[in-house]
Amino acid sequence: MASTQDGAIAAGDVGADRLSARDVLRVLVRCVRILGSARWHLVGLCAGFAALALALLPPSLLFLDLFWTRALQGEPLPAIQAWLLRLDPAVAVNVGALSEDVRQSVALRTVLAGVAIAAVATPLVFALFYYQIWILQRVNQALRVDLMDRLQSLSLRFHSEARVGDALYRLTQDSAMVTQLVDVVLLAPLYAVGGFLFAIAITTAIDPRFTLLLLAALIPALALGRSFSTPMRRDFRRAREANAALTAQIQEVVSGIRVLKAYGAERAAQARFAAASRGAFDAAFRARHRFAVYAILLFLSVGAVLVAATAWGAFEAREQATLFAARLFAATGVVAWSLGVFQFFKDRFGDGTNSVRRLFRTWARVQDVAVGLDRVLEVLDREPEVRDAAGARALAGVRSGLVFRGVGFRYRPDRPALETADFAVPVGAITAVVGPTGAGKSTLLALALRLFDPDRGAVEIDGQDLRGIAVESLRRHVAIALQENLLFGTTIRENIRYAVPHANDAAVRAAAEVACADEFIARLPLGYDTPLGERGAKLSTGQRQRLSIARAVLKDAPILLLDEPTASLDVDTERRVLANLAAWGKERAILIVTHRLSTVRQADRIAVLAAGRVVEVGTHDELVAREGGAYRRLVATETRGARPGAAI
Amino acid sequence: MAAAAPPLGPAAALRRVLRYAAPFRARFAVKLALLLASIGPLVLLPWPGKIVIDHVIESVPLDPAAYPFFLRPALAPLAGAAPGEILLWTVVAQLVLLVVVGGFGASFREQDTADAYLAGGHDTQTRTENEANAGFSLSGGLLGWLDFRWTMRLTQDLNHHYRTSLFERVHQLPMTAFDDERIGDAVYRVMIDTPSITTACHRILLTPVGSTAMIAAAAFAMAVSAQSRPELMFAALAMIPVALLASLPLATSMRRRSHASRAAGAVTTSTAEEGLAQVLAVQSMGAGAQQRAHFDRDSWSSFGAYRAVVRTSMAAFLLGFVPGSIVVGWALMHAAGLVITGELTRGHFLVIFTYFVQASIAAVSLGALWFDLQGAAAGLERVFFLMDQPAERDADGARPFPGLRGGLRFESVGYRYPDGTRALDGVSFEARVGTLSAVVGPAGSGKTTLAHLAARFLEPSEGRVLLDGEDARRWTRDSLQARISYVFQETFLFDGTVAENLRLGAPDASDERLWRALDEARATEFVSRLPQGLATRVGRGGSQLSVGQRQRLAIARALVRESDVLILDEPTSALDPETETALVESLHAAGRERLVLVIAHRLSTIRSAHQILFLGDGRLVERGTHDELMARPEGAYRRFVELQAIGA
Repeated sequence: MASTQDGAIAAGDVGADRLSARDVLRVLVRCVRILGSARWHLVGLCAGFAALALALLPPSLLFLDLFWTRALQGEPLPAIQAWLLRLDPAVAVNVGALSEDVRQSVALRTVLAGVAIAAVATPLVFALFYYQIWILQRVNQALRVDLMDRLQSLSLRFHSEARVGDALYRLTQDSAMVTQLVDVVLLAPLYAVGGFLFAIAITTAIDPRFTLLLLAALIPALALGRSFSTPMRRDFRRAREANAALTAQIQEVVSGIRVLKAYGAERAAQARFAAASRGAFDAAFRARHRFAVYAILLFLSVGAVLVAATAWGAFEAREQATLFAARLFAATGVVAWSLGVFQFFKDRFGDGTNSVRRLFRTWARVQDVAVGLDRVLEVLDREPEVRDAAGARALAGVRSGLVFRGVGFRYRPDRPALETADFAVPVGAITAVVGPTGAGKSTLLALALRLFDPDRGAVEIDGQDLRGIAVESLRRHVAIALQENLLFGTTIRENIRYAVPHANDAAVRAAAEVACADEFIARLPLGYDTPLGERGAKLSTGQRQRLSIARAVLKDAPILLLDEPTASLDVDTERRVLANLAAWGKERAILIVTHRLSTVRQADRIAVLAAGRVVEVGTHDELVAREGGAYRRLVATETRGARPGAAI
Repeated sequence: MAAAAPPLGPAAALRRVLRYAAPFRARFAVKLALLLASIGPLVLLPWPGKIVIDHVIESVPLDPAAYPFFLRPALAPLAGAAPGEILLWTVVAQLVLLVVVGGFGASFREQDTADAYLAGGHDTQTRTENEANAGFSLSGGLLGWLDFRWTMRLTQDLNHHYRTSLFERVHQLPMTAFDDERIGDAVYRVMIDTPSITTACHRILLTPVGSTAMIAAAAFAMAVSAQSRPELMFAALAMIPVALLASLPLATSMRRRSHASRAAGAVTTSTAEEGLAQVLAVQSMGAGAQQRAHFDRDSWSSFGAYRAVVRTSMAAFLLGFVPGSIVVGWALMHAAGLVITGELTRGHFLVIFTYFVQASIAAVSLGALWFDLQGAAAGLERVFFLMDQPAERDADGARPFPGLRGGLRFESVGYRYPDGTRALDGVSFEARVGTLSAVVGPAGSGKTTLAHLAARFLEPSEGRVLLDGEDARRWTRDSLQARISYVFQETFLFDGTVAENLRLGAPDASDERLWRALDEARATEFVSRLPQGLATRVGRGGSQLSVGQRQRLAIARALVRESDVLILDEPTSALDPETETALVESLHAAGRERLVLVIAHRLSTIRSAHQILFLGDGRLVERGTHDELMARPEGAYRRFVELQAIGA
């Protein structure tokens, strides 16, 4: 249960039972705190149930007495009962036995009153149940949102290895176990333990030897609980993991359906899905089957005890043996076993064995609840890699710009991404970073946004290390257009103002104009209200790219990062977009990562990145003039590809 | 979805579900037999208690003739036996019953039913796990264990069968089907909605038989064990119309609300899925708060939709409560009257009333059957909606494609989207095996549509696409697409190793073949530097690689397949000029035995093509080699090239 560092998920613990019985209790106790936010509602709910139970207790006792003793046995009524039933005391109270007519009318009035009370009480009970559902849904909602929040703040390193479907399963199925806490931690044990103790008290009064027998019922139950709970926990976890993996598979296949179909790989995917689906059912079968067998064996053992106690009790009743605490019962006139005592004893002893059975059945269900909640805590306990340092300050604005100072970074120890990067991105200029693919260009942008912290050196704004700036405030001051144009399944307008939900239509349009997106949006039948499909699938890549740029522009941040913003644009559009950006960005620091020389040429400053190092910084003309320079080589290659004069 | 399926009424949906159950009819028959077998012993359960009281405690001599016929053979040897002996044999009989059917007395403390229901939450989604793995029995012990096992396996196999068929249908949809549909919705339909099929089957097939048998068993037990009062059984039967009339008016509302609850759950899943799959966009735009707000809103509204379902259930119950309590009240009054007039002993009163209650409960479940089916019907509608989407189907008599020898020809091909937008109009051209054709044109001119038509991802609305002179529709789609390799504009890699991704379309390709393709795609250098080479995991969506690296893996993936046609949609947008130039040389080499179609903006890619197809506004504006087209003074292509020169 120790908090895990945000990073790769250990693959080795799949299906392992990482909880001991004590951990199960610890998980439950920790999660009970989650209920804290709803504690007053829960108190109100319990008060409601208690009030209703108290209010219904007198009428139900009265009902039983009236129906059994008075109507069916014909005993005369106490005056109060006659008054309640509006019966004449002359025929109902002051008589030796009730006449048949009076008994009939007692029965009629009692039943009618019972129906009337039930008609009032049932809606009240429903209302309380409904209230309970609402409360527990709120608790569940809070946990879901916390979990989502945590997932969103975990690093890309985590997300690169985690599966979306697994997270979805944790968000819904696993987190729902929190609604069971009130039941399994509080109510079920309360009832079961209470029922058991009451049964112990009664049997002791009747005959302490029976108490020993009742306590003996605990022995097989404890033995079963002990031998089943570890394998059950393991099976429950496997079942959850198998179902989460299946969810993940569906999500992944549907995400990549175009590629699968184009490569004729559907059949293989189908076979994998069928195997995973079968695996999930098998895992659920093993877990639930074990649980069912446990419950059957549990009943067999406590049932056998009850059979024995009943037979023994029958024997005592036949012998009319004296009761152990005869003096206690003296008031009722009962001092020895009788048929009545036998019936009473049998029911109370049965309550005792039934409590044992309920308690141990609940214990089995608790294993599943705890495994589910543990899967939630696994994520909640993972600390985000990038966090606000103590005393992190908010950024008030950007005056001079962004500086990379000896920055080195590795995603994983064996995969270096950036060795040393030293250059500045000043306000009022467009800075371009060029370099071959895989040189670490996109990594620079990730560091500028503090998606990661550098291993060496520092990224600074106005001379201040990003690590000292509150993450949320930093990201408000930096806008980015990503290389992969990630759009959401909503309208074009909502996509453009995704990061600035309150932007007005004029601002949205202005941003779209800067990105040269307005021209194609205007031609769509629904314009800005055009819904985009999953991941914006309906637009061409070039169109999506321009929406990404518009989205970044709308954010109106002092620092703008563009990752290959023009890769999918034709030359004419590219030129216009860059001209618009240059005009729009006069007072801002703009960093463009690109390998397109036509884009680079429009930059004021150029940094050349090769194999994780910034090797040259300067203007286009300076760098082209440098004999044997890396930039000069790049330009030469592109020029060789095209006819001289046609491109660069 | 491309086209909406005709709406399906609940009755039709349920008839259809019965057809779905047909392959499992033998197993359902066994389940019915087990169900009936477990109702039988219920008749035996009240007797051991009576025998103990009468013949052990009260010492009444045992006369087998006073017992129902089915007990007489068993009791015959005990006629006139000593109480001790009777007690001993009763205990033995109870223990046998306990082991065989998990019950040995009339009280709930003395009975067990086998099941393995686990905790769920308070929303539709988290309650389906129990539905998907439903196993249940009316008895416990060995019989209950057998019945439970059988039922759970039956449920799971049925679910597995239809879950995999639904998943298969997802593959068979046209490639564009998911453009409008959100991925989370597909996940929800496959995982959460399919168990509705089994739930409906269980209810339709088991409830009528089980309930009728239960009523018959109660009537029979009443007749043999106490006094037969048929009017009480008729009163119980009156609960059928009571439940029916009370629930019928709310059935439609129940179905609608269940549907809404499922739809809201699917939206929540989609929102969570998008946020997690695109966590890079969320984090880098600093949009965590927005994403949280979306999820918060959608999740809470799905909880609300579930509460609406609960409200409807409660309303139906309360509606039936008034007439139901009149029936129960009458039965109570009537039975009490019989006791009062001395026609019935008080002991028999309890027995008879117990049978009345058992029969009433069964009657209510019969009467409410239609209402109870509505929740499943809503799930069925969502399952069938997806199943009934028009799948891609081959024309009658389509033959396997033998391979391309000559070339590809477009004959006045036009394409319109389902919404009527025209994407392509009257395009005619020919491309031969052994040549490389470049498709060029401004954004939105129809380049990708043309490529999709060539790969038969889309069917032309007008005109024909010919392969070796024959209409492409004459060949089966699978065999045709097996000969075409397509590289999408947006690279998609699956979370797996490099090798697994490369083998997507050619599972049997050797490592040498993979390395050769990597060589051709200029990817050897970076793959060999990866820590585990071909066995390196690429992370979710290839996120551990740069975009340019992913692009080259996608090209290598296409080259691994032995195909006749290679289509690339802007394959080099994320590549640096040096890599791109080398790659274009490779493509020319690959094109010696293949037909290569490449969409490109970059002159360096286009220049060397054997023919250039210049598109404008969905029409083929010009066609020829670079030199031919540059020779036209006012040519559109020439203008396009000159713009590039100015841009650079």
